[in-house]
Amino acid sequence: MPTVQLFVTCLVDTFYPETGHAIVRILRRLGVNVEFPQAQTCCGQPSFNAGLWKETRPVAENTIQVFESAPGPVIVPSGSCAIMIKHGYPELFSDDPEWLDRAQELSARTYEFTEYLVDVLGVTDLGARWPGKITYHASCHPTRHLGLNRQPLALLANVQDAELVTLPEYEECCGFGGVFSIKHPELSAEMLKRKITNIEISQAPTLVVTEAGCRLHIAGGLIRQKKPQRVVHIAEVLDHR
Amino acid sequence: MTLLFNQKIRQQIADPQLQAALDANADRRIAARQNAANALPDWAERRQRAHAVRMHVIDHLDEVLSLFIAKVEQNGIQVHRAKDAAEAIRLALEISHQAYPGRSNLLIAKGKSMVSEEIGFNPALQSAGHRVVETDLGEFIIQLRNEKPAHIITPAVHLRRKQVGELFHEKLGIPFTDDIPTLTAAARSTLREVFLNADIGVSGVNFGVAQSGTLCVVTNEGNGRMCTSIPRVHIALMGMERLLPSLDDLALFLSLLPRSATGQNLSVYTQLIHQPENSQEKHLIILDNGRSSVRNSSLQEILYCIRCGSCLNVCPIFREIGGHGYIGANGAVAPYPGPIGSVISPGLLGSNFSQLAQACTLCGACKEACPVDIDLPKLLLRVRAGKIPDPPAEKHQPSKLEYGLKIYSSISSKPRMFKLASRFVGLASNILPGYLHLPTLTGWGLSKDLARPAARSFRVDYREEDSKSKDEDFPQQISRPKKRDAGPVAQNREENAGKNALIERFDLELITLGGSVHRIRSQELQSAILRFLNDREIQHVQSWNDLPLKFGDALRQNDIEVSSVHSASIRAGITGALVGIAETGSLVIPGGEGRPLSASLVPEIHLAIVDSTCLVSSLEEALRLPEIVKAPATVIVTGPSRTADIEMTLTIGVHGPKELHVFLVDG
Ligand code: SF4
Repeated sequence: MPTVQLFVTCLVDTFYPETGHAIVRILRRLGVNVEFPQAQTCCGQPSFNAGLWKETRPVAENTIQVFESAPGPVIVPSGSCAIMIKHGYPELFSDDPEWLDRAQELSARTYEFTEYLVDVLGVTDLGARWPGKITYHASCHPTRHLGLNRQPLALLANVQDAELVTLPEYEECCGFGGVFSIKHPELSAEMLKRKITNIEISQAPTLVVTEAGCRLHIAGGLIRQKKPQRVVHIAEVLDHR
Repeated sequence: MTLLFNQKIRQQIADPQLQAALDANADRRIAARQNAANALPDWAERRQRAHAVRMHVIDHLDEVLSLFIAKVEQNGIQVHRAKDAAEAIRLALEISHQAYPGRSNLLIAKGKSMVSEEIGFNPALQSAGHRVVETDLGEFIIQLRNEKPAHIITPAVHLRRKQVGELFHEKLGIPFTDDIPTLTAAARSTLREVFLNADIGVSGVNFGVAQSGTLCVVTNEGNGRMCTSIPRVHIALMGMERLLPSLDDLALFLSLLPRSATGQNLSVYTQLIHQPENSQEKHLIILDNGRSSVRNSSLQEILYCIRCGSCLNVCPIFREIGGHGYIGANGAVAPYPGPIGSVISPGLLGSNFSQLAQACTLCGACKEACPVDIDLPKLLLRVRAGKIPDPPAEKHQPSKLEYGLKIYSSISSKPRMFKLASRFVGLASNILPGYLHLPTLTGWGLSKDLARPAARSFRVDYREEDSKSKDEDFPQQISRPKKRDAGPVAQNREENAGKNALIERFDLELITLGGSVHRIRSQELQSAILRFLNDREIQHVQSWNDLPLKFGDALRQNDIEVSSVHSASIRAGITGALVGIAETGSLVIPGGEGRPLSASLVPEIHLAIVDSTCLVSSLEEALRLPEIVKAPATVIVTGPSRTADIEMTLTIGVHGPKELHVFLVDG
């Protein structure tokens, strides 16, 4: 029985704990032993992306330390946080050979959730059932930076009773971009508007994402515009029966 | 610091004309590139090779550059090096002065060059008394509007045809029209005079090839060829990093650049310049202007850029604000916009432009589209972190947002604190509504509500005993991961097939481009061409002295006047070609003694006589022919001249020929 470490990420921890619980249930059903190191915090992405690298270092050091004593693959329900560990940490420590080694050790065993299911465990059918139409937004980070697209789509294709319809411009960014959505609210708003229009065109009541950030953003926009559609993390669909 | 920038962004978003222009062609820009890339089965592999070649060049820039300069000088072109913009301007003025002593009102015909934008070439030469005329249709339009280019490839992308119509009505005095071919024709006739009378031609350089000293200049309209070949003095401006080691490498990059830039397999005119023609003077100004510093910084990879504009086309921010939305802290429009511009502008020109890197969600569309696989998001993050060659001495005051992030980072680095904060947020959540309507000034509140944090965070509810819960009825089928699709397998049909396959492919490609192919036997050539000229009442042609099959004599015997120099009244040019390239439908036409290149450029109809055995399969093969480097200049012609500078609408026949007829002669 493989043992994995869950890095739940601050957004899931704080806003969407149901995503975390769904992941734990799914992995355990597959016979995977899931552990959750309690000392984990945030990956450091917000300050890193804002250019505050000095301030990010201690956050990254904490994450590295926490998982050093936790063996096995590290599973992250968010591509951007996985990227932060896989690419951001080595960048952050590029001038510090000792920490760089430690960062690379962690980076090598870090997986985005759907990537772990499909590419490592080789599972695409989780016996899930979700009645009705769903549509999928390909979040930028997992799609472009990790090359994950086939994986979430393969998993969704096997959900019983679900009709997967294509979201127009499904690979276009929703306009979240972390600090971007606060620094450039007007741009973020335009991109969000486009995304919501496309969701309406798709006619699906449920949008599936693989990133808590996109969820926070798109769901917040739908509520503001008083739209009925909802946004869920792929883990919640895959856990549903 | 970013106040002006935010204001500008609001302005751009609120401009209905601009939004309509950007939206109208957004999909077209993206689709064109994708189709062109998809047609090349080994696109991904070519990108990686291109990345490696550029890395090699930038790593060994000093050596490659000195090899290149030595070759160019050997070829008879005068090389000048400028360490910054001021020096480049001074050099250009000196060259003009020496070529035309005592004249301070020279007419300068200018082709498209982003380097000239970077150094402020036009205003500087104009204030010295010269008249500089932009001759690329898009650049011509924005010069009339007194604007900067809104895109590095399609400068007038922010305008609609109606606006161009009004502009031409006002500035050129033609009746108002929004018919794109009519507008294009108006520009053509205005500019024709400029070409034929210009004292100096100025062009950019897309690639310099070290092995052969080649200056490669790529254009579609034909204006670039006019600027480099017709005036007595030609000045080429190039960034010091735009080098490739060999002609083989050039073939690789020519397979990537036009596809990425405009979705064409090859641009209409690919010029390979080696020596001055006839009595022409040629100068090359090689510009540093901060490139050496970028090379020694962590932004080095940005120097791999080949200025294709792809990253602008796919960028969601560019789609909202266009090129003019990218301004520095002082309000100046950045010479380079979009993702590339958000790195290279602060890289070359300093921290005034650092704020551009903030207007980015790090979505990565730019990296995915980049034909040399530059990791733009990584470089944008480095700019954000202040890792530019010339960071400002004093630190800026942290904004409220940055202050908040610093506190959050500090909490996140201490697990106990984090847990405590998380508890507190959970408690607060109990008294909050489901969604918080934040005020607009928070940024977030402008367009969305904020979800309430969960009352019980994940970590609070996480239970070790959960590990025992198992779902028995779950199907435990674990399959092997499927292999990624390898994609369509490369089929290089020409390689194995014979001559006929080459002809068919050439024929197909050229027709797609709007050219025509006449297949005839050598005995029929004479009557076919004479009939062609007769039908169009053409009695005077410009031609090579040594046309294939001694065809020139036949013309003269039939009372057709044949000249070797161009003139405005000659409607047809007749040339041969070194070879035809099947995969792109191109003709490789060398210049030199008795072979005026203007015969394939100035007349409105171009007829080329090509032996059907003279077809090669690929550009790479063509560039290996020894004749290429021997001719003072060679042009690779791919279809009739064209532009898409107004609303991305294809218009055939700008400055070069409207019609291209290839007579493919058998036996
Ligand atoms: S960065 Fe890449 S995509 Fe952008 S202009 Fe340069 S080569 Fe083209």
